[in-house]
Formats: sequence, structure tokens, C-alpha cells
Amino acid sequence: MAFLEIDGLKKRFGNVEILKGIDVELEKGGFLVLVGPSGCGKSTLLNTIAGLEQITEGEIRVDGRAINDLHPSKRDIAMVFQSYALYPNMTVAGNISFGMEMRGVPAGERQKAIDKVAKVLQIGHLLQRKPSQLSGGQRQRVAMGRALVRDPKLFLFDEPLSNLDAKLRVDMRIEIKRLHATTGTTIVYVTHDQIEAMTLATKIAVMRDGEVQQFGTPAEIYNNPANLFVADFMGSPAMNLIPATIATSGNALSVVLQREAREPITLPMANAPAGLSAFQGKPIIFGVRPEALTDPEGAERNASNIATADLHIEVVEPAGSDTFAVTNLGGKGVVARLRADANIQPGTSTPLAFNLTKAVFFDPATENRIR
Amino acid sequence: MSTVATPARQASGGINTKLVNRIVIYGLLALFALFYLMPLFVMLVTSFKTMDEIQNGNMLALPKAPTFDPWLKAWGETCVGLTCAGIKGYFWNSIKMVVPAVLISTMLGALNGYVLTKWRFRGATLVFGLMLFACFIPFQSVLLPMATILGSVGRFGVTLQNSVGTSFGLGNSTVNLVFVHVVYGIGFTTLFFRNYYEAFPTELIKAAQVDGASFFQIFRRIMLPNSMPIFVVTVIYQFTNIWNDFLFASAYAGTGDAMPMTVALNNVVNTSTGVVEYNVNMAAAMIAALPTLIVYVVAGRYFVRGLMAGAVKG
Repeated sequence: MAFLEIDGLKKRFGNVEILKGIDVELEKGGFLVLVGPSGCGKSTLLNTIAGLEQITEGEIRVDGRAINDLHPSKRDIAMVFQSYALYPNMTVAGNISFGMEMRGVPAGERQKAIDKVAKVLQIGHLLQRKPSQLSGGQRQRVAMGRALVRDPKLFLFDEPLSNLDAKLRVDMRIEIKRLHATTGTTIVYVTHDQIEAMTLATKIAVMRDGEVQQFGTPAEIYNNPANLFVADFMGSPAMNLIPATIATSGNALSVVLQREAREPITLPMANAPAGLSAFQGKPIIFGVRPEALTDPEGAERNASNIATADLHIEVVEPAGSDTFAVTNLGGKGVVARLRADANIQPGTSTPLAFNLTKAVFFDPATENRIR
Repeated sequence: MSTVATPARQASGGINTKLVNRIVIYGLLALFALFYLMPLFVMLVTSFKTMDEIQNGNMLALPKAPTFDPWLKAWGETCVGLTCAGIKGYFWNSIKMVVPAVLISTMLGALNGYVLTKWRFRGATLVFGLMLFACFIPFQSVLLPMATILGSVGRFGVTLQNSVGTSFGLGNSTVNLVFVHVVYGIGFTTLFFRNYYEAFPTELIKAAQVDGASFFQIFRRIMLPNSMPIFVVTVIYQFTNIWNDFLFASAYAGTGDAMPMTVALNNVVNTSTGVVEYNVNMAAAMIAALPTLIVYVVAGRYFVRGLMAGAVKG
């Protein structure tokens, strides 16, 4: 039995269904990231776990106990808010110990707990300051300290890094990951940033319009997207999703990609998914991540199914660690990821290798994966 | 060169226009300020003059031999109606009425604002709209209905007095006035606090809920300590209004021991016996005006902005 179980959760405001039946579960010590574009219901879902929103249907269980009718303070959870929500009239120490004070913990114990958390987060020198005297990163730490001090069963993070600047965000991301590794707490984390989701999570739930589109490990989500939305949302740069058709050559299937002003490319598929044969002669969406479209020298050596084609390079973007080349296939810009020192010029034709073992296919009508 | 000269010429012309504008603006402001301050000045100088000097001298002249006697007489000896014990009793009457009325109406307004913004219920907007409507009801229209209500309450107080032995203050004129001002003030205080709390970060309340704070704990520990600016504004507004109120005061406590300052002042000035003692009248009027002035000066210092800085992202 999982530690956190969410069963058929529905949330309605009047006639509008915000959450349309969510089923998610998380093992003890796991890190669940709820990710999706704004308005997908991920923050509402977190608020229902916290008890700040009532649910219409379904059940939320923590450690085998249904908590959906309990008051937020009785759920044994702690929450870190997007705006940090530090009480401006209290010192850092007061902020951290407010919850304990409300629960009637004696002053001596409170002080001990404050000191312990301050040591973990290295905020000992800030304890007597007011929130207005802290920098963004320090406020973030205090907000985390307020959650940590409760030693709860479940931590909830509501986009905790979105108010920080880019560099600090990366630092705090690593810090949260380290904290999770050392304390072994169970965390539910909401973000719209798919990189945060990939780097932090042990489980990801990709959400759209109040529904979980896919629930799985980061690797599953990244390599085996369930549908077009997940494929497009996760990964940076985004997966190339190219309109294509399926042709038969002999008894093997091949993918046909249209090129501008030249004959189409035909990529023979050695290990086509079984469902693909039903699409012979029909349009499909061919998905290939930028790193699976690269210069032949940089292609994965042990990949079993590599096809090379000459492609016209329109733009070259050297990003330092990699070089991105943009070409045009099926009427769409397609990004290839090359080694940093790849010798490539815009306006020329260059052979590029498709790693077809990593390629995925989608039905354009249903947007679902063809397996 | 011409490209440089053109903007320079425009700039010098601009400075001249600016200067003229400044002179006109400040000249007008000074004129209006003078006009506004003149009565105060006349009151102040007159209150320090002797009657002889007032009758034979210029109204705007400074007192030749400043004297505190009119102030002392106004405070302790002047006649209000038939009793000649000064206005001090009525001054305390006003204080006894104003302080509870201001505090109660402000606290209720804060509580209303808190509920209307952070514990929204079905119809919260309608309730707020109706309370807002209370701000626009003219005083005169509630005079008679309120008198009827206060009369009933007073009779109930007498019944209580006879049966239980105490009226719990029901029927007491000061309590009546406090009640009237609280009822009439709630509309305004709710408006002030609701608009302030509307911008108050809701995440703070959510965080406090997760921390286990109750409805009133959140109010007392989170909302109130962060409401200083609006608290001061509301107190100044309510204090000034209730202290200066004449209509309710004269209608519900126009005679008798609970008569507030404003009514007493009117009785001092309208007294028909003997000479009109302008210096005493002016001193009494100044005494009546002092508390509101003091509230502005004292409370204004706490009118600090930016108390919320650091609550949310900065």
C-alpha cells in the first residue's frame, strides 16, 4: 500500500469541474511532482491535499488514513507557499515556531526545534530578523524551515522557486533535492517548470485541464510519453513533432517525411511498434527528441536502428555545451542537437542521423501514442 | 550647431513658464490656506483677550495682555444652561462616549473586513454592498426610528432594573449614543478594513491555517498586527466624526448629565443671560476642538506605510 493515495478525486466549483477524477499514489519517501501549464488544476490538487480546498468526490489517504475531512492542521502536513507567506510581524524564529506555539508546545522545546532547523538550513544568524530584512533566497529558506520544524508526514511545495532569479533557483533546487535525500521525507511539489519536475521527482504527474495525462517516473515520462501533450510539454528544447506518413517497403514499414523543394525522406523502421501497421498510407505524428537527431559521428554507437538523411540546415545555434541546428521537415522547424564542436554551417546540406529506437508515433486524430 | 541651440532655447522658455506656474500655484495655495486659517487665528487670539480689549479693539489684533482666564472660566465656571460648573463635565462625557464607540466600531469593522475577504461565504458581496449602503443613509432619516428603538430599549432597561436590580446600562444616554455611533460607523469601518484586507495576501491565512491557528487566533496574531495603517485611518475618521457629531448627541442626550461636548458648547454660546463672553466662548470652542487635533498629531505619527513589506515576494 502506498503512503499517499489519491483516489478518484473530483473538485467542482458550481458546475465547473476543476479536477476530473485524479488517481495518484506515492511511496514513502517519494518525491511527487505535479506539473502542467497554468490552469491545469495542479495547485488546486495540492490545496485539496493540504485541506485548504474541500473536495467534491473521492478520497485522500496518508499512511492508510483518510484525511480529506480533517482540518489542515490535523493532517500532519507542512506547506511551503509560492509567496513564502512569512508572517511580516514576527521574527524568523517566531515564524518558524508559530505552528508549535499554536499546538501548545512548551517554549524550551520550541527553542530546541528552532535551533535544530536553523542549523540544517544555515539560518541561525537570521533568527531575530523580520522577513522584510531578508533576501529572496533567505525568505525561501525560512519558509522551508517553517515546514521542516513540524517534522510532518507529508511536505507540500507550491511552486516554491518561481519567485527566485534563475541562478538562485538552480541552487535552491539542488538544496531541496539534498534535503529530500538526507531527511527522506515524502514530498508533493507543484511546478510549471518541466526541468524542476525532471530533476527533482521520483514520480511525475503531468496534468492538463484537471486530468492527469501521464503518471510515471521521470524516465518514463521523458522516453515514453503517453500522448502528444506530454511529449510536447516535457523536455527542453521540446520534442520535434513532425507530420509524416507511413509507407510499406517490402514487409517493413517506413516513415516518410516531406522536405521543402526536395524529394521526401524515407526512414526504414526496423522495430516499428505493432500499432503502426494500421496506419499504412495514413498521416501520423513522428516524434523525435533533438538529442536523437544528431551528427552521424555523435550518434549513439549501440543504438540498433539509426537512419541517416541529408538535411538542409536553416539556422545554427551554438549554446556552448551543445550546438543546435534547425532544419525544416513536414513544414515544421525541426531542432537537431549536435556536439559543441560540430562543423556545421547554415544554408548547407548536412547528413544527420535519426536514432529511430527513440522515435515515438502519435495518432493526429486522438493525439494518443501509437504503440 | 542649430541642433544644439534649438533644444536649449526651448529649455529656457520652459523654465520661465515653469516659474510662472509655480508662483501662480503657490500664491493660490497660500491665499486659500490664509483664508482657511483666519477663523482659527481669530478664535485663538480672542480666547486670550479680556472682554474690554475685545469690545474696544481690532478683531485681528494680537492680545495686548494675554490671559488664561477665559480658558479657566470655560473649563470650570461658565454656565451651560442653568448649571454653572464649566464644560469639563461635558468634555469627559464626550470622552466616555467617543472612546468605546470608536474602539467597538473599529474592531467590528476589522472583524467584518476579515470575514468578508478571507472567509468568503455565499452572498458575501451582497452583504458588503448592503453595509456600504449604510454609509449613504443620511443621519436625519434614522433619527426617529432610532429614537423609538432607544425608547423601547430604555423601557426594557427599567424592567430589568425592577426585576434583576440592574439595567445593564440599557437606557443610559451615554450607552445609547455609543450604540448609535457604533451602528452608524460599522458601514464605514467595514469599508475601510475590507478594502485593506482585500489586498492582504491570502497565503498568509492559509499558512496560519496549516500551522493550526483558529479563526480568532489568525485575526489576532496575523491580521491585526499587520493592520496598523488602516487601523490608524479608521480611528482618526471615527474619532473625528463621533466627537464632532451634534445631531445624534442633541437628539438622544440633548439634556441631562450625559450631554456631550458639542451640545454643551452650543448651550454655552447660546446662553441668553448677561453679556456674551466672546473670549470664554472661543476658549470653550478651542477646548472642544483640541481632542481631534491631538488624535491627528499623535496617531498620524503611527501612520507608517510599508508594514507589509517582506510578507510576500520582494
